[in-house]
Amino acid sequence: MINRREFMAGTGLAGLRLARPARALAAAPSAPVAVARCRSYGTEFLSATEKMFDQLGGLGRLVKGKTVTIKINLTGVETTRLDYLPQGRTFWSHPRTVGAVIHLMDKAGARRIRVVEGAWVWPASLEEFMLKAGWNPDLLLKAAPAVELINTNLPYKGSKPYTRFPVPRQGHLFPAYDLSTAYAESDVLVSMNKIKEHGTAGVTLSIKNCFGISPTTIYGNKVPLDEPAPVPYGGRQEIGHNGSRQPPTSSPSEIDPKSPRQAGYRIPRFIADLVAAVPVHLAILDGIETITNAELPRQDATRFVSPGVLVAGTNCVTTDAVAMAVMGYDPMAERGTPPFENCDNTLRLAEELGVGTRDLNRIEVRGVPVREVVFSFREHGGPRTPRQPGGRRGA
Amino acid sequence: MTLIAGSIPIRWQCGPLEIAKREKTGALSAEERSVIERWLNPGALDLLRGSPVDCLILGWAAGLPQDAEQQRSTAPLAGEARRRGLSVVGWVEGAANREAAIAAARAAGLTAVAVEGFNGRSDFPVIPWGPRSNAPWESAGVVLPVTENVWPGLQPGAGSQDPDAGPTSLPWLDSNGWYVQLARARVRAPVWLMFDPPGKGRILRAQDYSMAICDSEAPGGRWVISLDDGLRAGLLAGSSSALETWQAIARTSAFFRDHQEWSSYRSLGRVGVISDFAGENLDFSGELLNLMARRDLLYQVIWKSQAATAPLTDLRALVYADTAPPAPPLRRKMLEFVEQGGLLVTGPKWGTQGRPATAGFNTIFNVSAYGKGRLAVAKADLSDPWQFSVDTQLLLSHRNDVMKIFNSSSSGCTRFAASPDGKKAVLQGLSYSGGRSSMRTVWTWRQFRSARLWLAGAAPVTLQAQPSDEFAGAEYHLPEAAAQPYFALEFEV
Repeated sequence: MINRREFMAGTGLAGLRLARPARALAAAPSAPVAVARCRSYGTEFLSATEKMFDQLGGLGRLVKGKTVTIKINLTGVETTRLDYLPQGRTFWSHPRTVGAVIHLMDKAGARRIRVVEGAWVWPASLEEFMLKAGWNPDLLLKAAPAVELINTNLPYKGSKPYTRFPVPRQGHLFPAYDLSTAYAESDVLVSMNKIKEHGTAGVTLSIKNCFGISPTTIYGNKVPLDEPAPVPYGGRQEIGHNGSRQPPTSSPSEIDPKSPRQAGYRIPRFIADLVAAVPVHLAILDGIETITNAELPRQDATRFVSPGVLVAGTNCVTTDAVAMAVMGYDPMAERGTPPFENCDNTLRLAEELGVGTRDLNRIEVRGVPVREVVFSFREHGGPRTPRQPGGRRGA
Repeated sequence: MTLIAGSIPIRWQCGPLEIAKREKTGALSAEERSVIERWLNPGALDLLRGSPVDCLILGWAAGLPQDAEQQRSTAPLAGEARRRGLSVVGWVEGAANREAAIAAARAAGLTAVAVEGFNGRSDFPVIPWGPRSNAPWESAGVVLPVTENVWPGLQPGAGSQDPDAGPTSLPWLDSNGWYVQLARARVRAPVWLMFDPPGKGRILRAQDYSMAICDSEAPGGRWVISLDDGLRAGLLAGSSSALETWQAIARTSAFFRDHQEWSSYRSLGRVGVISDFAGENLDFSGELLNLMARRDLLYQVIWKSQAATAPLTDLRALVYADTAPPAPPLRRKMLEFVEQGGLLVTGPKWGTQGRPATAGFNTIFNVSAYGKGRLAVAKADLSDPWQFSVDTQLLLSHRNDVMKIFNSSSSGCTRFAASPDGKKAVLQGLSYSGGRSSMRTVWTWRQFRSARLWLAGAAPVTLQAQPSDEFAGAEYHLPEAAAQPYFALEFEV
């Protein structure tokens, strides 16, 4: 039975519900989420995150002796800035937060630490991408011994560049995804990015950050029909956003090629699938400084804001649910309501795959109560204008 | 009036020869014919009053029946130009009788004639000119006019927000900057770029003309101003918008005249591109320069004939992409550069040397360690200058960048150069996208003692260096008012 709001939302949610039996939402697990105030990226961040990790049960329990893969967020073109502000203060992960987390991982006994991103560049290494952007990669590379930087948009070194990751419970959009083997070699996946809004997916949090783990050699524009491209040729509009084509035949095709060809339908399902297929073990969300109204700087619409908050958790859905509450949004919101005016709720879709619960009543918040750090992104946003379909998007 | 190196020329399209040439190449409307005829009126020179333009380029002879009539009918105009202190250069092209054209110019009191490929003797001032592919490098002319240039700008439909524009598809950009740098490295005379506005159907704005000037002047050249028929008709009719466009042209030209010293500055690029820039080598190495500029990979042009004595001290990499291997002395010099820690990027004929090394990315080069440096030798014959430029930049690494301009996807002719005494430097940025530029933040690898922001037609503004948040060097924040297609940052070292 669908209610009126779901009906009005049209093909997205309604279509899904009609096509499939309701999933056992109550089965989605919960996990505690830590919230902290933090106003700066120096030692304050280091001590705040260390305390948060302790509140979550300790980092050593999670990473000792393990290969840790930190998925950061460097969406868009490397030389884009909002006004004069470095990307780390606005829409990217901040290099000092990444360096601090690497340091803490090493201190907690991680065996190997890798920083990964599907960087929008061709065919450069992640290090070169960072350098072009004005980052000092040494902040990461020297934060611990033998740190590696990997651009997962490029074929992984060695004889097996890609590994297939099936999606539990069949998946929403694809039954399985072919991803860089770097993810297969990982014991602990950390999703680390800004708290942001997103023009297509409503919010960019730890789940949306994982959109970038899909290699553009397979899920990017202009890839060959039968096999991965040797190098990326563009973004993910064709396969990820609008579904105008399928991935190469060497990778699994969509479950239902007749499903809606709308980014607001597809992107949330794509990323829900990914975090179900490749579990995020630790989500670290930076709301110290960020932007409102977009995931990338957009002329006259994007505002720089300083909410001064951090959110972290061991389950990406529970963490994102709490982060949404901090942003002034309801994680139970459905399509048609903020911030999901034009898309389905990614958290719900991930919840349906058994990743985690978005029900705040089932999530224990440790540290600072959410009500004390709520920062309404809508109230601090610039003018909201409709987007043209098909344009460039980020993560 | 003597033609001087600092002259600011304009192509004065008038007279029966211009009409005949246009009729040969296509339909000429009555309105266009009228403009060309009326431009012959000496009174039209009033336009130049108060402007920095001080030299007319007049069509003089083209080997057409109208040559003699052209020379007769332009006499009053040339006389009036002389009276106003303007120099007048007769343009001789095609199958024209050169001796007759020179004699007629002398008789008409012209300042000089410009003759394609002229290498003879004359007691009348003759300026040799040539196409890009065959420029008269040995010319002793006071200036070096070159044809076959492009109207600078993004190609229509290649907007930077094109959803298909991605890592491999920067919007296509036309620029003459690379050629000016190439020519300036060879000759002392100012390089005059001859090119006309694009054809009918494209309405040019003031900023389009300003960009044509900036694209030529920033790398040290000079555009021979050429107005489209629509603008000239508007100026004859007293149109205020046409006048505004002309004033913008004059303002931009005056700006560069007032900063003529910048054209003598030497590139701070850390890649030296060695070539004879002739024939197919010009095709490849020229396009390589063009594409390196598009990626803000700043370079120094080193002519092969001068390479033996060229200082390589400021360079981190050398590129040698000519088809034929270098002569033994040059090869030795390049190897010494590598031994001392440099990078050499070259074609497959170099051969194998050094110990195999990894590039760290999928590249068209085999990389080997040699001495303290690296050799990158192409795996196959060179055919893709874009890939060559991409790989060269990655092999060199952005760690060696000397500058970055943020939000500059439509740039492509950035010039960062230092004065001969090393006490000053200037960084000139261009945005070809039209409209307001989003170039607001400039990063340099080092902090300078002082910085002044120059915009064409405005007083300079002192900028304070800002510490770079995450990196060495310094940032300079351009005020919002500077959101224009061109800026120059002048530094005291």
